[in-house]
Amino acid sequence: MAYKNALRATLDEVGSIAHFTGRFFRNAFYPRFEWNELLRQCTENGYRSLPLVGITAFIMGLVLTVQSRPTLARFGAESMLPSMVAISMVREIAPVITALICAGKIGSSIGAELGSMKVTEQIDAMEVSGTNPFRYLVVTRIWSTILTLPILSVLAMGISIWASWVGVNIKDAVSWDLFYRQVFESLVFSDFIPAFIKSYFFGLAIGVVGCYKGYNTEKGTEGVGQAAHSAVVVASLLIFILDLVAVQITDFMGIN
Amino acid sequence: MEQPATKPSIPVPTDVHAEKVISIRGLCKAFGDNAVLKGFDLDVFRGENLMVLGKSGSGKSVLIKCIVRLLDPDAGSIDVLGEDVLTLDQEALDRIRVKIGFLFQSSALYDSMTVQENLEFPLRRHWIEKGTQDTGALVEEVLTAVGLPHTRNMYPSELSGGMKRRIGLARTLILKPEIVLYDEPTTGLDPISGKEIVELILELQRTYGTSSIIISHDLHVAKLAANRIALLHEGRNYLEGTYQDLLSSKDELVKRFFIFM
Repeated sequence: MAYKNALRATLDEVGSIAHFTGRFFRNAFYPRFEWNELLRQCTENGYRSLPLVGITAFIMGLVLTVQSRPTLARFGAESMLPSMVAISMVREIAPVITALICAGKIGSSIGAELGSMKVTEQIDAMEVSGTNPFRYLVVTRIWSTILTLPILSVLAMGISIWASWVGVNIKDAVSWDLFYRQVFESLVFSDFIPAFIKSYFFGLAIGVVGCYKGYNTEKGTEGVGQAAHSAVVVASLLIFILDLVAVQITDFMGIN
Repeated sequence: MEQPATKPSIPVPTDVHAEKVISIRGLCKAFGDNAVLKGFDLDVFRGENLMVLGKSGSGKSVLIKCIVRLLDPDAGSIDVLGEDVLTLDQEALDRIRVKIGFLFQSSALYDSMTVQENLEFPLRRHWIEKGTQDTGALVEEVLTAVGLPHTRNMYPSELSGGMKRRIGLARTLILKPEIVLYDEPTTGLDPISGKEIVELILELQRTYGTSSIIISHDLHVAKLAANRIALLHEGRNYLEGTYQDLLSSKDELVKRFFIFM
């Protein structure tokens, strides 16, 4: 019985999130557009996430290089290091790690902010003043995550490849020119494009889940904490599911 | 719907008020099995302050949230300024909402914005687009009206409870509403701040000619601010009358209200 109830609750939640996503798309392409708020959200969610994403990408690139090096050296394949790191970073690690970092930072922030606005009746106040709060608060936040996640992912790719060059130079002396050439000889557009496209969907997932959890907060301040927490958990899970789907699609299309 | 058997007959002074600005008939609202409003009827006339008095949890806030469609009632009709708000589409509803001010119990100021930005927020979406009036002058006017012209650049977290309530009122007034709905305007305030808010409500009624519904369980507010009082009991409009009518009522329920509240 408990399993049945849990399953029903999960399916209800999935249905509600799907409905919320549909409502976003119904509002996303029609005026009135809240350009100022969108710009502010892009700054908050994109620009202000850059240091965290940058540091994480740098460490990931460096660590992957340092840890892979001994194994490749055992097979005499150290020269493959730039290609290996670049392909891993571009195809998988940079987009997924960036999305997970943003799920934690942006998802929780959106969930807590909207949740707090909900329990203090600020959303109701917006509505009774004749402003559409869904358009002003939700549409702008989701658009901002959709637009900034791919940019952050591309920056993370670049930073991690640079960090890999730093890692290689801890023990060897390899010029940036040589490293850069080896990276781009191994990379093709079909490595980059799927990663770039899936970042849009990661952004959509983070924005939708954060806004959904915040916009539907109940139970006062306790609910605000729950909204922030569950926004991170659900968005992170969705990112892995979307990644799995993306891998299946690219495999089916013969891109892998 | 069964009417209370003990309903007294205090005459409603409709003769002194010409135009109905709000007319509610048979309003019902339930949350699950809990029926809060069970066929509530009410008329509000132009220029009057009508107070809805009732116990906590009797459905007073639900009533005014239904008027602005923050909640959708299960049955009944609500006419505001001649329009049935329950049948309006979103655009028409937004238009009518601009004519109805709503002061929340929590003030509901946008805490990431300064006082000035809070006041400009509703303006930016309505009047300024039409270029009819200067924003700065309107902000100055309503801040002066609520007696807080110096708070323009302050954040809500820097304001006291009474000041927040006044700024909330200023934000409501900036759209020049014809009707103002006050949700527990003095709850949580000290007696002096509460009295100041009541005086402000009366001042705004005189200056702007607004019609109001004041939700409260505070008899001092009823005595000072209300032209008429409606008693909400068990989901219905139990009776209406002036403060004096209710005070001199022989009805047991009304007497209990005046003894215990």
